[in-house]
Amino acid sequence: MANGVETLVSPSAHRRIRRRTAIGAPGLRALWRFCCKKPLGALGGAIVLAMILMAVLAPWITRYSYDETIRGARMKPPGAQFWMGTDNLGRDMWSRVVYGARISVTVGFGAVLIAQALAACIGITSGYFGGRFDLCVQRIVDAWQSFPFLVVILSIMAVLGPGLVNVTAALGVVGAANASRVIRGTTISVVQNAYIESARALGAGHLRIMIRHILPNVAATIIVLATIGLGAFILAESALSFLGFGVPPPYPSWGGMLSGSGRAFFLDAPWIAIYPGLAISMAVFGFNMLGDALRDVLDPRLRGAGGRVR
Amino acid sequence: MRKYVLRRLLVASASLVIASLGVFSLPRLIPGDAVQLMLDERAYGKDLDDLRAKLGLDRPIYVQYFDWAGRVVRGQLGESLWTKRPVIEELARRLPVSLELGLLALCFSISIALPVGIVAAVRQDSFADYITRSLAILGLSVPGFWIATLAVLLPAIWWGWSPPIQFTEFSVDLWAHVSQFILPAAILGLASAAAIMRLTRAMLLDVLRQDYVRTAWAKGVGERCVVLKHSLKNALIPVVTVLGIQVAQILGGTVIFETIFGLPGMGRFLFDAINQRDYPVIQGINLLIVSVVVVMNLTVDAFYAFLDPRIRY
Amino acid sequence: MGTLTRRNLLKISLAAGAAASAEPLLAPRRLDAQGKRGGILRVRGYDPPHFDPHQTLNFKTNTTLSFVHSKLVRHKVGVAPGTFTVEPDLAERWEELDDTTVVFYLRRGVRWHNKPPVNGRELTAEDVKFTFDRFLTEPTNPLKFMLDPVDRVEVVDRYAVRFRLKEPFVWLVNMLANPTGTWIVAREGVEKYGDLKKPESAIGTGPFTLERYDPNVKTIFRRNPTYFRSGEPWVDGVDWLVMEDAAAGLAAYRTGQLDCGNWHQWAVRQQDLESLKKSQPQLMYRDWVSNVTQGIYMRTDKPPFNDVRVRRAISHAIDRQAIIESVYVKGEPTPAIGRGLTDWSPRVDQLGPGAKYYRHDPKEARRLLAEAGFPNGLKTQLTATPGYGIDLVDAVQMAQRQLKESGIDAELKLQEYGAYVGTTFLGKYEGMAMGPFSIAWEPHTALYGMYSPEQPRNSSHVADARMVSMLKEQMRTKDLEARRKIIFDIQRHAAEQQYYVYLYSVGVTGSWRPYVKNYVPNSSFDFGNRSAALWLDR
Repeated sequence: MANGVETLVSPSAHRRIRRRTAIGAPGLRALWRFCCKKPLGALGGAIVLAMILMAVLAPWITRYSYDETIRGARMKPPGAQFWMGTDNLGRDMWSRVVYGARISVTVGFGAVLIAQALAACIGITSGYFGGRFDLCVQRIVDAWQSFPFLVVILSIMAVLGPGLVNVTAALGVVGAANASRVIRGTTISVVQNAYIESARALGAGHLRIMIRHILPNVAATIIVLATIGLGAFILAESALSFLGFGVPPPYPSWGGMLSGSGRAFFLDAPWIAIYPGLAISMAVFGFNMLGDALRDVLDPRLRGAGGRVR
Repeated sequence: MRKYVLRRLLVASASLVIASLGVFSLPRLIPGDAVQLMLDERAYGKDLDDLRAKLGLDRPIYVQYFDWAGRVVRGQLGESLWTKRPVIEELARRLPVSLELGLLALCFSISIALPVGIVAAVRQDSFADYITRSLAILGLSVPGFWIATLAVLLPAIWWGWSPPIQFTEFSVDLWAHVSQFILPAAILGLASAAAIMRLTRAMLLDVLRQDYVRTAWAKGVGERCVVLKHSLKNALIPVVTVLGIQVAQILGGTVIFETIFGLPGMGRFLFDAINQRDYPVIQGINLLIVSVVVVMNLTVDAFYAFLDPRIRY
Repeated sequence: MGTLTRRNLLKISLAAGAAASAEPLLAPRRLDAQGKRGGILRVRGYDPPHFDPHQTLNFKTNTTLSFVHSKLVRHKVGVAPGTFTVEPDLAERWEELDDTTVVFYLRRGVRWHNKPPVNGRELTAEDVKFTFDRFLTEPTNPLKFMLDPVDRVEVVDRYAVRFRLKEPFVWLVNMLANPTGTWIVAREGVEKYGDLKKPESAIGTGPFTLERYDPNVKTIFRRNPTYFRSGEPWVDGVDWLVMEDAAAGLAAYRTGQLDCGNWHQWAVRQQDLESLKKSQPQLMYRDWVSNVTQGIYMRTDKPPFNDVRVRRAISHAIDRQAIIESVYVKGEPTPAIGRGLTDWSPRVDQLGPGAKYYRHDPKEARRLLAEAGFPNGLKTQLTATPGYGIDLVDAVQMAQRQLKESGIDAELKLQEYGAYVGTTFLGKYEGMAMGPFSIAWEPHTALYGMYSPEQPRNSSHVADARMVSMLKEQMRTKDLEARRKIIFDIQRHAAEQQYYVYLYSVGVTGSWRPYVKNYVPNSSFDFGNRSAALWLDR
């Protein structure tokens, strides 16, 4: 659980979790409470945890290497030897799906990290300072947003060559523009609040206000965006694979498997498509459910508000 | 307000310039230019230079840029390096297709997402909340190209039916024209419906806990009134932002659906143009998309003012 | 579907097999046999980047133009796939006056399409001269190499043209029959539009007129009522549909929206074949082998690949059969000329001493590497592009894996198609690269391009004097058998030297609906003439 949370939430929100779930029995109790109150969120968390475990333990839970072509094992259906069957090149699908978790986790988290960090910096400063600064920054964001993402991604791929890092960076950079607009929107309405005014009156600096007062209040937005983002980036990678610009082989990305041989051999060997497809759907589902639940729990306005509205 | 809009329109041109500069230079940085692609594998050094000179691609980038910008101001987008067809004509043919697809998808997704999002927020943590959210996220979690593939292949195998492969013009057959958009729009709308539904739910939950809403509850205002009148407007701010963005992305990003369903829209056009390094086409499409985004953002900002009375200009 | 028993299934697949094997008997039917008029043929087509045959060698332009245009001579239609016999088209006959002069006598009364600005006037020798003058002088014609030996084209009289050559060139007639760029065009089109890139300028003497072009959607061709072959075309028109997506195309073919297979060459993908044969046993099928060679090329001008032992080690390292079976399902290991060009491509066991390098033998590969000074193997890179589709990417992964097992550690580098064509294919790369070489309707073009030191298509940077002299010799060898022997010798020498590690030519299965009659597929771009010869008997 901790692993998933750590990367998902912003630093200040994280501090709050730690404060509430101190190590030991109270922490376990809090976790239990979370599971009871948010069963779907807990399910999502379990899926995310399983995925991360799969990524970490990949070499120990697979029998074959992901790119090993096994002689005489072309398109074998799932069975005792190959749990998920083999693909058209005679590679073990289980190994490929497990190693695929590594690729997808890396792409998803990497891209989210890049996108949200960029977006938070731009969105908060732009929304906070407003005025001419906002005007200028928003023009750049406008341009950035309207930049057909295909041009950016294909350009990056063509100049640097397709690669895991390049795909991640391209997705992150493209994703940041939209997120920054949403964060700016939320910041603007936060800035209107009286407590910002009073913090300013007490002589707090811009940086302090932005980090101490605005960031926690837009954290909910950031978390929602990040969780939508995590799933979305995994999906985006698979869409890029469809166009031939995803994570390049021999890396076994789920999107690549699904859009490549999965699609090509769907009629004869559906398992080549079904398992990576399931993995994508499970991952996206897990991230989203966990994100929703976390958002409900972490919302600063929820503290002391007595829980449910009705 | 009018002054604000005018000022915004003025500065919007800055976005246009920035974006056009980027789009102008980025594709030109890629190895393998249009000329090499045109001559394919049989390229002799001298031929390449000749063709570059003929197409004006041998001049420094900034000269090409100002030349292009000058012509755009005069209302000319130039012609494709490959087909010699005027870019503006091509855009005029393809824009409606993408717009139609995009708008249909948007209608589809809003009509599902808003009601479901509201129900899920109001009945937070209820059975209905879990079910709708799970379904929404399931819709979100399957890659669009995969749903499209199944939607095309499976009916063909089971019932011997597949979507029409020949695009029908609006003027030829109205029903055939609209019906060919239904399947791709529904699939395209599904993904954004899930996203919008979740955002609506999240934002509405946020608003429902605000003091003024609690005051409304305390005053004994009915549920319907609290939710629809007091809260929804505020909750929709980020949702509207996302909607604005979606339109822009649909214009340039539907290449997958256009490929699978054979629709002659902008996505495929742009994809081919990038692959062929057809600079005038890339620039023309970009100019159009930036313009649309600028207009959308203006509308969104105006909507903000309407939705959140605290925002004044 | 649901009531299929095992026995029924067997019967059905037998029937399908019978249909496929009985078909060749019908193949050599006379083309002017009485057909059935009418109907629209709906087939998979391509969206050409533009319509000017003298500005590109793109197959999308040339396949599209094959409907509209004629050539002086053409490949015979209705013969077995892989044979490219030259027969008259606009030229009734031709005569070799001496080693460097050929005269073509034109068919009389051939009319251009009745479209402005040509308006259906008669085709004359002037038109032929204009076409080839433009072909030879258009500065950016990437196909100029085809007619490099041609010095000039002269008008003899209204119905005869004379080709004057700089040197003897026995392949001239074959070159003119190749369906790339040799289409006869009218002067008026060029004069009115500046070039022939616009669809309006696609005016020819071919079996169909271009009625309408929808970029990225389709091109609609209509029957040319004044076409010079009597009776043809039988169909009223052809819908040439752009269909990039394999799944959507297959669905369309299954549901009867297409009359012929949805994949390239109007075939169906091998991956789809089994289930298609099961569920649609009534469809017609025909197998052949592609005339495209795929393989690995490398910097033979630099170490380590300047050492023939390293190149032979690479050939030993690759398990061609395994790649064919895993990726392409059907195919054949091939020498320099694709196995699909049946007359000019020797079987691997006919390659003499070089044949042994086609054997998959990792041990021998390691031994050769050690002998060449790499006892611990070597590190290099392998470039490819996803632009040719996922099959190649799969194949490259297998090849990379096999090379590794023999001690050659090649890092896989994928390049976007445009960048690949602009750099790697032109020889600007390091280490090795893998992909298809050119399509072959005669052996000269491919061999000459790959082995002449000054040619840009010499991707492996080969400079081999013996090869060059053999190439020059075959260009002036009139006797067909003697020429074939030289061509085979070239390929034997190539197999021994392994400048290019030739891998395989893939298998293709053409398919069409049973009511499409008198259609015989072939691996050329000339879809127009094949469409003119067939008829629909619905």
